[in-house]
Amino acid sequence: MTRLIEVPTQFDDRSFDQFASAFAAATADGERLLFDAHAAEWASPYGLVGLLAAGQAARSSGGGGGGGERPLLTAPTHAEVLTYWTRAGFFREAADLFEIHGKVPRVKAADESDVLLPVTPVRAAEDVHAVVSKIQERAAAILASELGLDPKATMGFAMALSEACQNIVEHAGTGGWVAVQAYDWRRKLAKRVVVIAVADAGVGFRHSLEPTQSKRFGARWGDAAALEAALIQGVSRFRDPGRGQGLAGIRRYLARWDGKIAIRSGTARIAIVPKWDDDVPLKDGLPAFPGAQVLIIIPEQGSTKR
Amino acid sequence: MIQHIDVHAVLQESVSGIYTDLVTRPTGRVVRERIEHAMATAHGAVALARIDFTRVGCIDYSCADEIVAKLLRGRPAVLVLTGISDGHREAIEPVLAGHRMAAVIERSDGTLEAVGAPDAAVALLEELVARRLAVRTPGGTLALTLA
Repeated sequence: MTRLIEVPTQFDDRSFDQFASAFAAATADGERLLFDAHAAEWASPYGLVGLLAAGQAARSSGGGGGGGERPLLTAPTHAEVLTYWTRAGFFREAADLFEIHGKVPRVKAADESDVLLPVTPVRAAEDVHAVVSKIQERAAAILASELGLDPKATMGFAMALSEACQNIVEHAGTGGWVAVQAYDWRRKLAKRVVVIAVADAGVGFRHSLEPTQSKRFGARWGDAAALEAALIQGVSRFRDPGRGQGLAGIRRYLARWDGKIAIRSGTARIAIVPKWDDDVPLKDGLPAFPGAQVLIIIPEQGSTKR
Repeated sequence: MIQHIDVHAVLQESVSGIYTDLVTRPTGRVVRERIEHAMATAHGAVALARIDFTRVGCIDYSCADEIVAKLLRGRPAVLVLTGISDGHREAIEPVLAGHRMAAVIERSDGTLEAVGAPDAAVALLEELVARRLAVRTPGGTLALTLA
């Protein structure tokens, strides 16, 4: 029997919990999964890397239905959506994880336009080097000309990206993906934004920090407490006093450029919420989803009124 | 004597000839260990080591911690950072402040500046003067006594 998981038509961080809920329900009995994206109209970088993480989790937990089968994925039917997903590099990565149904166009992953970094696998430190090297070539012009950031901010952007990717290498226990894109964010800001999305289906923050932090939190220990420890308190699983600098550095960078970070892991989600956004700082009791998913948004500079 | 260490060259030898960025903990660890080795095996007594970041692209917080903070903690010699860009400072300063440490930066005009935790920065410059490794210039800035 195959379990159906509908991919939201507008698939981004806001609709991710709906997706996670369907994923949690469908994976309960180990049947083969079918991710149905045929009606998808739009997906943010967060949606795309999140869908890959779901495929990764399904494969590792037997969601291919046993016998080494891959979970199924029906590709979007809208031609424009399909082309965009392809240009964003999604299908290049998805081909290893899913049995894809639908016609995938032969379009190269983008090296132009608003896709600053197509969906890119991150498995080791060498991948982070490649990502940082590539993004500096592509991001400088867009950050300065389209977002009005000081040209010097490009290096800070690369640093933030590097640290976000390293969370996978250092903590996930598996590989993950990163994507970076600029787009008009009409719904919230009527401005251009640059979005970094990073996702993996690894062990998640709670598991990573449990050996060193669970006693300190006592009964409060859980996904929300682990995210709070990592993002707010700068705690790391390593006892080395220099650890935990990465997320703190990202926070400093985002504070300077009025940006946002949100991290979802397990059943919780934490966010540093700028004035222009109405997200909540901490949500607990969400549908369980493996690993960690990081969203970073940097808006066009100038007035960022809601 | 002053030892000169070209971090870009160390990076190219350590990781890959194609990347110029100091990113990730493993990279930082390898680069630091090579620098430590170079300092430990230098001929003659090294009073001061110039760690030159010229041609290094991005430094992330992990590498700033792994290289600068840990080299300072070991203190094999007085360390002076050169070739430091604004972007490099963005990573190095908060990392040092977090450790309550300071490092000396030699600007392109030869003047010195201490960055990091304010108390440690003041103490570090005073120590350089006391050890006669640096002197006050007529303009009121500090410069190294050794060329």
